[in-house]
Amino acid sequence: MNDLTNPVEVLGIDAGGTMTDTFFVRKDGTFVVGKAQSDADEANAVLESSKDALAHWGREIQDVYPEMVTCVFSGTAMLNRVVGRKGLRTGLIVSKGFEDFHRMGRALQCYLGYAFEDRLHLNTHRFDEPLVHIHDTRGVTERIDSKGVVVIPVRLHEARVAAEELIDQGVKAIAISLISSYLNGEHEQAVRDVVREVAAEKGQPDLPIFASVDYYPVRKESHRTNTTILEAYAAEPSRKILGQLSERMKDEGATFDLRVMATHGGTIGWKAKELARSLVSGPIGGVIGAKYLGEQLGYENIACSDIGGTSFDMALITQGNYSIHKDSDMARLVLSLPMVAMDSIGAGAGSFVRIDPYSMSLKLGPDSAGYRVGTCWPEGGLDTVSVTDCHIILGYLNPDNFLGGILDLDVPRARQCIQDQIATPLGLSVEDAASGVIELLDLSLRQHLRAMITGKGYSPRDFVCFSYGGGGPVHAYGYTKGLGFKETIVPAWAAGFSAFGCATADFEYRYDKSVDVGINDESTEEDIEVACQKLQSAWDVLKVKVLEEFAINGFDESAVTLKPGYSMQYMGQLNDLEIDSPVNSISGKEDWPALVQAFDDTYARVYADAARSPELGFGITGAILRGSVETSKPTIPTEPDAGPTPPENARLGSRKFYDNREWVEAELFQMEALLPGNNIVGPAVIESDATTYVVPTGFSTFLDEHRLFHLVEG
Amino acid sequence: MTEYTKKQVHDLVEGTLDWDSVHKMLSMPKDADRYKLYMEVLQDDASYDDKILLALGPRLNVVESATDGEIIVKCNCGHDFGDYRENWKLGANIYVRDTAEKMDQVYPRLMSPDTTWQVYREYSCPSCGSMLDIEAPTPWYPVMHDIQPDLKTFFEWVEMPAPAKI
Repeated sequence: MNDLTNPVEVLGIDAGGTMTDTFFVRKDGTFVVGKAQSDADEANAVLESSKDALAHWGREIQDVYPEMVTCVFSGTAMLNRVVGRKGLRTGLIVSKGFEDFHRMGRALQCYLGYAFEDRLHLNTHRFDEPLVHIHDTRGVTERIDSKGVVVIPVRLHEARVAAEELIDQGVKAIAISLISSYLNGEHEQAVRDVVREVAAEKGQPDLPIFASVDYYPVRKESHRTNTTILEAYAAEPSRKILGQLSERMKDEGATFDLRVMATHGGTIGWKAKELARSLVSGPIGGVIGAKYLGEQLGYENIACSDIGGTSFDMALITQGNYSIHKDSDMARLVLSLPMVAMDSIGAGAGSFVRIDPYSMSLKLGPDSAGYRVGTCWPEGGLDTVSVTDCHIILGYLNPDNFLGGILDLDVPRARQCIQDQIATPLGLSVEDAASGVIELLDLSLRQHLRAMITGKGYSPRDFVCFSYGGGGPVHAYGYTKGLGFKETIVPAWAAGFSAFGCATADFEYRYDKSVDVGINDESTEEDIEVACQKLQSAWDVLKVKVLEEFAINGFDESAVTLKPGYSMQYMGQLNDLEIDSPVNSISGKEDWPALVQAFDDTYARVYADAARSPELGFGITGAILRGSVETSKPTIPTEPDAGPTPPENARLGSRKFYDNREWVEAELFQMEALLPGNNIVGPAVIESDATTYVVPTGFSTFLDEHRLFHLVEG
Repeated sequence: MTEYTKKQVHDLVEGTLDWDSVHKMLSMPKDADRYKLYMEVLQDDASYDDKILLALGPRLNVVESATDGEIIVKCNCGHDFGDYRENWKLGANIYVRDTAEKMDQVYPRLMSPDTTWQVYREYSCPSCGSMLDIEAPTPWYPVMHDIQPDLKTFFEWVEMPAPAKI
């Protein structure tokens, strides 16, 4: 079916650790989701997954790629490279006397990313190997103080020796991060130029060199240095891989430019200078997708919940906006990447299940089966029961159509393993043991979801819960039960929702720069004037960078929409808020009241009106500049209402299903064949290749005209 | 239930086990036969046939004598320190670092204690010379008796048969 009036326009890719999902969208908003097991060769997995998706439309990659206009990639390879310490050998140049700070690491890095128990106990605390070996680190005499004033001029002859030694030792890239360079970049830039000269003299003019001031001119040395190193260590190899993927796609006729999802919620070109921003992107895609759906359909407050095989990721969208976390951490490293704020716990649909022999209680995770599924897939080589095994034996999942039937599952083996490892030690039947596991997981997810919402001072009653990810529709009823959400919504394309989200993201670069400004009652008019100029000059610096990034992707200034912003706080408080600037540029002190007003209003909205504290004075801590260009986005499908009764071709018969401690007959439906308006009362299981939507007794669901399922309790 | 091989326990003792496995061992409930495997690993490393009951240090163990069943402290080289209820240090060679010069040999000046406040006592085996323990007390402090094991209770805890003469 090659319909020229309705071409395929958008492709979203989510290359996870377990599965590589592709999400193709046609001009009219109809879409298909493809899945393939992830592969060491990412380009290969993407092409396989594309084939799988396009088979639904009876089309081939070679026909479709040429008609597409947008493709957004998100993947875990860069993160894995960092976790596995398999990055590019990088040299590091720091201020003399500070050579050891990178390998010492910030104290919290010794427990970051660990399960709660392991954070509490000192004996599990551990510092990972530093990204750069001390032998590949050099110091250069110089000092800039905390006001940005040169105290010791930089000794460039030392920089020359450092660069020569590092290059002779065989480093493949050099990162430079000097103390306080975010306030005054002269020294770093001078060192960078010397290193470039030396690289050229050594016959390596293309040696990648990263000075923190060119990338992340923000305060906090460890964060800034880690991020700058990652740019060399992890992102540089990804550039090659993305280049290859781009080439493979071009071979298949693609004319679009591959873009990558970035931590700040926008997408950037794969040739971007700041590619380390794409270190984590998969779960962020879902949040962006939820925001986009919310904008289109009028949901202002959304609780996003994404349950995959290994983790449960939650985020809140309030008044149509997600919040940005500035000192994020990833792979147990503190980073200065602005990141969409999310809470994650290490429990997912594939978590391992074990019994604690001392307390005889169930323990989920923290590790999970990943692509090896569980004991139900003998070829996966696992002996430990996973949550998936429990779902399989209780009739939640269809063993003959798991991931569209690409795996042969051995249900009796899973049953035996649950019997031996869980049921017998607990003195329970296999069914009760397995359903206990599922209840425990649901309970734990529910508590985290509730804690995230109430902990920020909100009530679930004000939120619509979006449930997605491969495991979302299986667990949606369980983790939303009794929380009192306004509505629980499961998109029919839940499994590909992150990829969908990536495709809805703006083509947007974001640059940040730290600024130090403080204005209170005692400040003079001149002080305010200086403060305003400081912010404007920071924006000017960032503007050059943003435009430079777009220029790499072939957009000139006229096509770019620039959105300036700033971080402001009441002086003396610890947390700042990000504000979209009410003015596009600042001419002088007359603009100050507007900046303050915008902050005051936001503060009252985020916290409470009474909590505002203007008497403390106002501080600006950072300048932000976002630049974006128009891109084609998927449209949300709209189909006519076909009435409450599902069509005959959607009915797949029934299956035994263990529900509330008894076996019942659950009616089965084919998700793709259901029509808008169809209403289904539990117990029912709605199947599709990529996911399974469970509606137990006591719940019902209907499909709306946008192919969103609404789960209704009672 | 977690289970580990003797090789993994050996590597743990050697300090060569990969961190992911160590982390798992620390976080997960302890495997039932860990103590048995641990003792086997230590036994393989010792030069004698007396059964190792408890480790006191990297090369020092409480053992059940193969000849008379007495419970004694032994160095890995086979040196016998006598009854386990007595302080083995009293039978060891002692070197006391009690001057600034002696401290300079182990730490840079000003990064070691003032020896009028604290000294290091190094205990080594009279037969093989291995350093078995170091203590860092005030100069006048008596020789420390580090551990007086209650072996009877201990073997009940680890659910293993206790030696006859405890």
